[in-house]
Amino acid sequence: MSEAISTSYLECLLKSWQAKPAESRAWLNQLRARAIDCVSTQKLPTKRDEEWRFTDISPLTALPYRPSQPDSTLKIEDVQHLFLDDAKNRLVFVDGHFSQSLSAIAEPAALIAGNLPALLSAHASILESHVGHYVPFDHNVFAALNTAFLQDGAVVIVPKNTVVAEPVHLLFIATQHEVTSYPRCLLIGEAGSHITLIEDYVALQQAAYITNSVTEISLAGNAHAKHIRVQRESAKAFHLANCAVSLAHASNYQSVSITLGSQISRYNLDVRLTDEAAECTIDGLTLISDRQLADTHTCIDHAKPNGTSHQQHKCIADDAAHAVFNGKIIVRPQAQRTNSSQSSRNLLLSKTAQVDTKPQLEIFADDVKCSHGATVGQLDQEEIFYLRSRGLSETAARNLLTYAFGAEIISRIPVSSLRQQLEQAVLDQTQSNPS
Amino acid sequence: MSAVLQSLVNQPYKHGFVTDIESDIAPKGLNEEIIRLISTKKNEPEWLLSFRLKAYEKWLTMSEPEWQNVHYPKIDFQDISYYSAPKPKKKLASMDEVDPELLRTFEKLGVPMHERAALAGVAVDVIFDSVSVATTYKQKLAEVGIIFCSISEAVHTHPELIQKYLGSVVPVGDNYFAALNSAVFTDGSFCFIPKGVKCPMDLSTYFRTNTEGSGQFERTLIIAEEGASVSYLEGCTAPRFDTNQLHAAVVELIALDNADIKYSTVQNWYAGDENGVGGIYNFVTKRGLAKGVNSRISWTQVETGSAITWKYPSCILRGDNSVGEFYSVAVTNNYQQADTGTKMIHIGKNTRSTIVSKGITAGHSNSSYRGLVRIAPTAEGARNYSQCDSMLIGDQCGAHTFPYIQVHNNSAKVEHEASTSKIGEDQLFYFSQRGIDAEEAVSMIINGFCKDVFQQLPMEFAVEATKLLSFKLEGSVG
Repeated sequence: MSEAISTSYLECLLKSWQAKPAESRAWLNQLRARAIDCVSTQKLPTKRDEEWRFTDISPLTALPYRPSQPDSTLKIEDVQHLFLDDAKNRLVFVDGHFSQSLSAIAEPAALIAGNLPALLSAHASILESHVGHYVPFDHNVFAALNTAFLQDGAVVIVPKNTVVAEPVHLLFIATQHEVTSYPRCLLIGEAGSHITLIEDYVALQQAAYITNSVTEISLAGNAHAKHIRVQRESAKAFHLANCAVSLAHASNYQSVSITLGSQISRYNLDVRLTDEAAECTIDGLTLISDRQLADTHTCIDHAKPNGTSHQQHKCIADDAAHAVFNGKIIVRPQAQRTNSSQSSRNLLLSKTAQVDTKPQLEIFADDVKCSHGATVGQLDQEEIFYLRSRGLSETAARNLLTYAFGAEIISRIPVSSLRQQLEQAVLDQTQSNPS
Repeated sequence: MSAVLQSLVNQPYKHGFVTDIESDIAPKGLNEEIIRLISTKKNEPEWLLSFRLKAYEKWLTMSEPEWQNVHYPKIDFQDISYYSAPKPKKKLASMDEVDPELLRTFEKLGVPMHERAALAGVAVDVIFDSVSVATTYKQKLAEVGIIFCSISEAVHTHPELIQKYLGSVVPVGDNYFAALNSAVFTDGSFCFIPKGVKCPMDLSTYFRTNTEGSGQFERTLIIAEEGASVSYLEGCTAPRFDTNQLHAAVVELIALDNADIKYSTVQNWYAGDENGVGGIYNFVTKRGLAKGVNSRISWTQVETGSAITWKYPSCILRGDNSVGEFYSVAVTNNYQQADTGTKMIHIGKNTRSTIVSKGITAGHSNSSYRGLVRIAPTAEGARNYSQCDSMLIGDQCGAHTFPYIQVHNNSAKVEHEASTSKIGEDQLFYFSQRGIDAEEAVSMIINGFCKDVFQQLPMEFAVEATKLLSFKLEGSVG
């Protein structure tokens, strides 16, 4: 991609921002102004950038994706099939814009949930101290763009020592063609709180569009959060997402991210253990086919002692799909007695599928237990043989093993209706494979 | 435990002395004139000069890489003297004619050449500041048709081989330092094992940089023809200097059908003092091409010295069923930095590779494993197993792993494992309970940690490697 195209593309995007009305909050305006400055000094990354080495996003500039407009013609009947039975707290965003009529909060007493403009005056100080604090955008043009366009977004605040019984379902629906939407999520878990958050990206159309999302999660002492992220955008979509998590003393973050859709998707997950005894478990499953490209970059930063992190990432790539995984674990000098494990397992179902994986350790402390492992391969012949000896056909045996490979991650999702949906999706994908 | 280790770890460099021999030094700086001067001094044919100039042109268009995990002040390439050779003397007929000063140097290093040649049966091609001054065992090797000589000699005696293979594995524009080397290399070793010959002895070269401020640009080329096999040893020590010395070597290995090349290195260049002042920059490009079917290339390295070690001995597995191996121990202490690993490029069918990398990091040092395993779409049934373990001694050091795994063929099987650990209090307790003191216990634990790699070394080197680790980490004077 030539520099000229990249620059003019960004300029073009920024111009469309100028028309936006300014928010009343000074800090928000400042944040956006800083982000705009950042965008103007940056270029779109190319394959020459180490962080984007395997992911060519130049197709992005082929179409002039204008920002999406609020358009709430959707009725509840149109989207009801996307709702989850056991997630009664629901915030729905259509093309990045909040839809009051489609949303519902079952436990208004237990949590503060809504969109950013609605909560801005009542919770100004807490929002000011969190929005834009965890995802830095100095070297991340997509996060900068999202912040520059920041006007709407999901905000979930769980008060101190509150346990939210029902999961909170953040549903992002794409309906418009050739637009860019900028979803934004903020989860604040106050001390001792418990919550399950589902971030769900779906599409009601098949045309090309861009989703550029930023999610920020901050957990105070002893707070627990389960974060399930499902990316099932349309097959022509571009999905670029940044998520940053900040963990305070003895907090616990569990994340399962499932990547199924988009022609090109990129997910950056940064988890920072900022205080002692924090724990995180990060699991991921990428299941792609055709010419899809799915890129997951994670970074777990152990900044303080006694932290624990476990990560398992699995990729299943069929046809000419290309899966990328880069998992970095940093153990800083003070972070003694860190216990960290990481595994990247990859299954290639076709001759033309490819996987690039890089589990990366950067360790500056000596009293630590850190390990990582990576495997790439096809299904084990012995396992297939075993199943065939039990009377399964070759195809059935392969499908069963592929399903089991993916289901291991999906089984960790604590929301049963979503789990069933995803299990079905994996099943459909594996059954459709005739080889 | 830390106090014990500290005393073990802080050992002065034992090979720090400067031999006073009149050197023939080129003026500092790099330009076309200097390259022509080197070429003229060495009386080189026209094609080699144009090879150098082509590399120089390429080098001018390139910029110094910045992605590495090592940090050093910018090198002023115009402040280096690119040629230095001991003053030419009359042709040497026997060992007695070698400069006694030179012999004493080797004596101090523990390489009594004549003894070594006779007792150990090793042919030592002695490199002393870029020019080969004595070669032993040549006759014996010549009997079976093996050519083992300095590369500048080979340029005159076997130009067709050099012309065919030089730069065929590491092209002149491969990377910044390889381009620099191709432009200014002064000497190095050349080894050719003809069809069907198993080399009767281990071939060995001792490298040694001597003149302050002169970079060493070695060039090694080893060719094993169909069915040939050779084991090549490279060892280096360097005297103590306070200005950093750049060492940018290029090593090329070519293995044809059924050939087998084993390349072992023990590297103990001067690492700088305990404050990180001085020491050698060891920026080396090493690459082997397993060109023929069933060929095998094996790298074994024990890296204990150098202020900065930055190299990735690699294997291009082009022949079907070819095998690549990489066994490495990297020890860093004080302010040393190491960014080392390997690249295994699988192209042929059923190619296999094994990577075993052990990093031991102490003091304020930083050590990185950076590796690439690439399975090309053509590499049906390729197999890789990688293991990289790090051991940290002290809380000021860092250990890093950057394994790149790129798989483009679904019949391939690639496995990678890495772990990080330290010497546990309970391990030391177990030893002391058995009456073994901490010092010896640490030595035994480290030797056990590195066992997989040491087993791959030829006998003499295995002994030396164990000794080197003792110098580095154990404190005993001996």
